[in-house]
Amino acid sequence: MTTTGLGLRTAALAGTAMLLLTATASAQQAQQFRCPRVGGDLIFGLEARVPMLDQHVTPAGATRNVTMNIFDTLVTRDENMNPLLNLAQSVDISPDFKVYTFRIREGVTFHNGKTLTSADVLASFQRYQRVGFDRSILDVVDSMATPDANTFVVTLKESRPTFMEAVSSFTVPIVIIPSENANAPAQQLPMVGTGPFQFVEFVADSHIRIRRYENYRPDTRYTGLRGFGGYRQACVDTVTFRMLTEAGARTAALETGEIHGSEDVPTASQRRLAGNPNIRLSRLENFWLHITYPNVSVPPTDNLLVRQAIQAAMNMEEIMEASSDGAYRLNPSFQFPGQAYYTDAGGNLYNQRNQARARELLARSGYRGERVQLLTNREYPSMYNAALVMSEQLKAVGINAELLVLDWPAALQLSTTNAGWNFFFTGWTSVFAQGGAQSLRNLANPANVHKPPNNQTDPEFQQHFNAIASGTTLDERRAAFARAQARAFDQVLAIPMGVMPKVQAVRANVEGFEPYFAVRVSNVSIRP
Amino acid sequence: MGRYATKRLLQAIPILALVSLISFGIMKLVPGDPATVMAGPGANPADVENLRRTLGLDKPFLSQLVIFYVNLVQGDLGRSLMLGTPVTDAVIERTPATLAIAAYAMGLTVFFGLLAGVVAALRQNTWVDQIVSSIALIGVSLPNFWLGLVMIVLFSVQLGWLPTGGYVEFRTDPVGWLRTATMPALSLALLQIGLLARITRSTMLEVLRQDYIRTARAKGISEFRVIMRHAMANVMIPVVTVIGIILSVLISGSVVVETIFAIPGIGSLLGNAILRRDYPLIQGGLLFVATSLMVLNILIDLLYAYFDPRVRIDGSA
Repeated sequence: MTTTGLGLRTAALAGTAMLLLTATASAQQAQQFRCPRVGGDLIFGLEARVPMLDQHVTPAGATRNVTMNIFDTLVTRDENMNPLLNLAQSVDISPDFKVYTFRIREGVTFHNGKTLTSADVLASFQRYQRVGFDRSILDVVDSMATPDANTFVVTLKESRPTFMEAVSSFTVPIVIIPSENANAPAQQLPMVGTGPFQFVEFVADSHIRIRRYENYRPDTRYTGLRGFGGYRQACVDTVTFRMLTEAGARTAALETGEIHGSEDVPTASQRRLAGNPNIRLSRLENFWLHITYPNVSVPPTDNLLVRQAIQAAMNMEEIMEASSDGAYRLNPSFQFPGQAYYTDAGGNLYNQRNQARARELLARSGYRGERVQLLTNREYPSMYNAALVMSEQLKAVGINAELLVLDWPAALQLSTTNAGWNFFFTGWTSVFAQGGAQSLRNLANPANVHKPPNNQTDPEFQQHFNAIASGTTLDERRAAFARAQARAFDQVLAIPMGVMPKVQAVRANVEGFEPYFAVRVSNVSIRP
Repeated sequence: MGRYATKRLLQAIPILALVSLISFGIMKLVPGDPATVMAGPGANPADVENLRRTLGLDKPFLSQLVIFYVNLVQGDLGRSLMLGTPVTDAVIERTPATLAIAAYAMGLTVFFGLLAGVVAALRQNTWVDQIVSSIALIGVSLPNFWLGLVMIVLFSVQLGWLPTGGYVEFRTDPVGWLRTATMPALSLALLQIGLLARITRSTMLEVLRQDYIRTARAKGISEFRVIMRHAMANVMIPVVTVIGIILSVLISGSVVVETIFAIPGIGSLLGNAILRRDYPLIQGGLLFVATSLMVLNILIDLLYAYFDPRVRIDGSA
């Protein structure tokens, strides 16, 4: 299936679960975004330190906050996590899903003045193959070619209908850089992109400043922001991202007007700020899936009946209440509602709060009081609180639960081994948010966070997971996802506990700001 | 004195070598490696391994140790794993902010600590003494992170006098520096002011009971002169020792304060490096702190000899 015309392409891609949204004629007719006013320095308080700015290398959300305003990608995601054309003008996919031909948007220039060509796209992909964090998504690539300055062709070793989903992932996005920077060592990538803002300075642990790129040409196929793409414009002269990791100090800075926006407002401060007419709170309902996964290689959690007993004993309301100060939503799924792959398959096993069933399963399992170690940390209070409440719930049904509290790096390191712990507490956000195979990949080979024997996950789960990647229609993939999720619940490969929102805030004179999985400063302006 | 200082500095070299070895060894023994932290939970093991290779963490322990020392003797502390910049540059960039705030806090500590201690001693068992002692006790009891947050609410949110955080260099804007450094310095200093005031008070009370003070008073010397000339000289001997300890506490206490007030100093750099297991940065930061404390100790020893002529800096008394 080769798609050429826009309508045909859209239809074809929709059939493969890739709503490559191009606004086309309707968008051109609709009114495009215009900055209500131009100028000013937007100061945004970040909750985490930006470790580095090489977006090919790091999965840190703090880095994305900055770089996604500087760089573009070939394909990105819209708000509903559907792939969205960005620097690609179009994409043609062969009927066997092995050859992907991208046409590059014309007239796009880098911040150094150079015009974007397919050679730059090729160089970016090649650097990603060399140092990119998520380089395994390109393992399926057989060859890449640039038949002309505006065409980039990727040929895969095998049919991969979900390739567009993979390359549009924004966890560690394949940002497009000038070819002359492609040999930059890891962590030393010059900050030259094609986005609406260009890099000015980075003072580690203090701030990062970017400014409007005057020669930026918005993508006129769209009318406004769409995920990390769409019609983007820099309305402010400069943006200063200040790293204010202490939540109280960051909130105070917002209240005093020292900063225009805050990346995260703690629940305790939300009530106070809600009554402040100078501040507007925005809420991204589905941001963080609170999750715990078992170690299925060690006793007693190698015993399926024990795991099922633990799952039956859990009361998610209590756990999430303690984890989030009340700001949570129960979610019997490994997806957020509204997303293409959302399903509640297997959800009957979620939040059972059934102590009798837990005791019955324990009795059948032959459990004899072995210790169940809940591996957690104090750096993330939500994880610690979840572990604390869960341990009490397990004790209530006769399980010898015990907290194992380490600092985050040590806990993370221990969780990569298959000994010394039974449950690990963490949270999934951007990977999970992007749906489909990506959101379940941590339970499939070779990631296997639940540490199955010989690093081979449950065969039935893996079969369904493979079917997600190979399904040629969205319906096929959805059905496979539902089967995989149901199996994950049944085998207790992971236990989702609930969803926590992301609450951000801006001063009342900030216009156009919408919360997202990273801070988007395009189309944001400041009223004097 | 010059020979003494040189000798002490030379003695510091093996100690610093030992500090670097211990810091290197401890960080390798502590669970958690930088690649895992950077990759985050649930990362593909192959991706983590790739990252580990990219960062040069796949080499054996001994080989990493040898590389570290070979580079160290050439003045190269390596590259920070998280910043991607040379550790030396990162440490040099951050040092001025930490030292400036520590010096500011030290100034506040010495001025208010000595003043409060002397006043409390001179007005022993009066309401002045009670108030000073109570304030000193409160100062000693308050954790600086709590104090910092309370000051932000009071001086920034309520009164609007000072910015909530950030740092302006003194050389670019002295007034801006004063505004940004005052709350961090105060939150560092308050605890130490209390400590110094209590020590000064008790030392002063002890000194004021000495015969030579009674003699000085009997000779009709003014009370101000008795205190400043005769009593303070002896009060300063134990106080100088305490000041040395206080300064080291001020530098180490900067981790929390710099985080609260978003100051790009050594403390926040080191704290963040530990949380990310950035080995080269931890080693570089610890070497800096160890060197600073050693230099400080030498200075204190020299000061000690200045205040107490009975002490000979060559070791004989």
